[in-house]
Amino acid sequence: MKFGKRWLPAHILVWAYAVLLVVPLYYFLASAFKSNDDIFAHPFAPPKSLGLHNFTTSYDTAHLGLAVVNSGLVTLFSLALTLLLAVPAAFALARSTGRAAGVIEKVFSLGFLIPTFAALFPTFLLAAATGLFHTRTFMVLFLPATALPLSVVVLVQFMRTIPPEMEEAARLDGASTFTVLRHIYTPMCLPGIATVLLLNFLTFWNEYLYSLVIIGPDPAQRTVQVALPTLQSVTGTDYGVLTAGTVLTLVPVWVVYTVLQKRMQQALVSGAVKM
Amino acid sequence: MTTLTTTPDGGASTRRRVPAPASAGRRPPRQGGTVLAVPALAWYLVFMLGPMVAIFVIAALHWPGMLQPVSFAGFGNVRTVLHDPTFWDAVSNTAIQLAVAIPVMIVCAYMLGYYVAQRPPGHRVIRYLLFIPGLISTPAKAMVFYAALSPDGLLNGALKDVGLGSLTDAWLASPSTALACLIALDVWGGIGFTAVLFAARLSSVPDELGEAAQLDGVGHWRMMWKIHFPVIRDYVGVVTMLQFLWTLFGSAQHVLLLTQGGPGTSSTTLSFLVYQKAFIASDLGYSQTVGVFLFLTGLVGLLVIRRVFRQTY
Repeated sequence: MKFGKRWLPAHILVWAYAVLLVVPLYYFLASAFKSNDDIFAHPFAPPKSLGLHNFTTSYDTAHLGLAVVNSGLVTLFSLALTLLLAVPAAFALARSTGRAAGVIEKVFSLGFLIPTFAALFPTFLLAAATGLFHTRTFMVLFLPATALPLSVVVLVQFMRTIPPEMEEAARLDGASTFTVLRHIYTPMCLPGIATVLLLNFLTFWNEYLYSLVIIGPDPAQRTVQVALPTLQSVTGTDYGVLTAGTVLTLVPVWVVYTVLQKRMQQALVSGAVKM
Repeated sequence: MTTLTTTPDGGASTRRRVPAPASAGRRPPRQGGTVLAVPALAWYLVFMLGPMVAIFVIAALHWPGMLQPVSFAGFGNVRTVLHDPTFWDAVSNTAIQLAVAIPVMIVCAYMLGYYVAQRPPGHRVIRYLLFIPGLISTPAKAMVFYAALSPDGLLNGALKDVGLGSLTDAWLASPSTALACLIALDVWGGIGFTAVLFAARLSSVPDELGEAAQLDGVGHWRMMWKIHFPVIRDYVGVVTMLQFLWTLFGSAQHVLLLTQGGPGTSSTTLSFLVYQKAFIASDLGYSQTVGVFLFLTGLVGLLVIRRVFRQTY
């Protein structure tokens, strides 16, 4: 018996932790359909009706619709720019044998030692100096920079597995460096690109601190992560509305996770490890 | 950071050093294109290293607010910071946070990862659930904890239901429990995701290792710590480093969202102090001096962790 009696304490502890992970989420989902009185009287009871009243309230008071669009735009453009910068860079580093490549990789890995909160003020100054303070544009330019170290490292790993003979053959046919990148390396490391996209989708969509300070509180510009905590002060202690808003912001991530579960897990694991 | 690239397939990176035999004698045609790394590098220098350097510059300035005149302060800010009791409160809070959160997180996550890697019944469900904290944004996590810990929230409600009403508290607003709540949030979210990382690495440890030990009658407890742990020791080090840096640099977002460092200074961590001095108290030199201190703490911590987890076989 591989999992005999002696495993019982382990089973109990693990499932207890699993419950700790699920209960708050269940509480959130259930509360999103309840009134405040209901939440306090029966916190764990399933909702009696599936009215969307709380959702519409939170949607309206925090302008969540606009915020979702803003988050979507920032995430989409940042992802595109990240790929545009990281793929050529990884291509250069993967093929290079010189010392420069090693130095560049070291410079990139320095990024992990930058204290997020301390760099916030200089970044704010940069935004002010470029005239892009309180705009989404600055975040679109800034977020790819934060994602570069990890993205480049992951892509380099994938590109190093492409046999050099592929390129040599193409070169004999007169292909330029750019053609090699476009028609050999990019198609062959699509799994790597998918990993980078998924990983950065999560970080960009979930980014809070810099969006809060740089984009600011203007409802026309702010992202969903900045809009969400405002529910806390706008609605006071209306938990139904608060939880409904939170549930709304989780939907896009949840959909992607459920559809691409395997891929997403691999991306998260490889991303964290290669950092 | 070479230690950070220890992966099962990391061997691929050495292959390039060997020149292809076909191109021996003449310059291999696949040179060129190094210039393609320039845009990314430029981007990185402007948006990441620029602000990083600025931290050190501003730390040497006397700058009492955005629109105030700036003057050179040298080490003046360092003296101010070191004589400020708030700074020392933040140091001790951060020390407590790191000393409690990191060991609890890593030890629990390692055991949980080992459990999942053995593929017990239901391990797929567990694995799916463990990813949850990795998916939820910081504000959403903070909302979860706000709803759970506020005076009329989930925890107090549950306590009342089981007849322990006398134990209820305003958890986030009480000086004695505010920091503990923030640590609980770090640990709650950290264990799950870290465990998945360990599980992924443990599943690539050869099965023969465990089987041989099992024939010798080694129990799971010893198997976990005496046989598997040494094999993935350096990997545990990498993950510990990540969690250390995240806790030191990033977890102050929870402070910002839940307690604002209060009540008093009871939940002010170093990272939050940087934010507070820059954006609330408008003492920019002070703020960035603490930033330099954070950077050095991160660097030293990294080197120490790397040394502790150095592969010993």
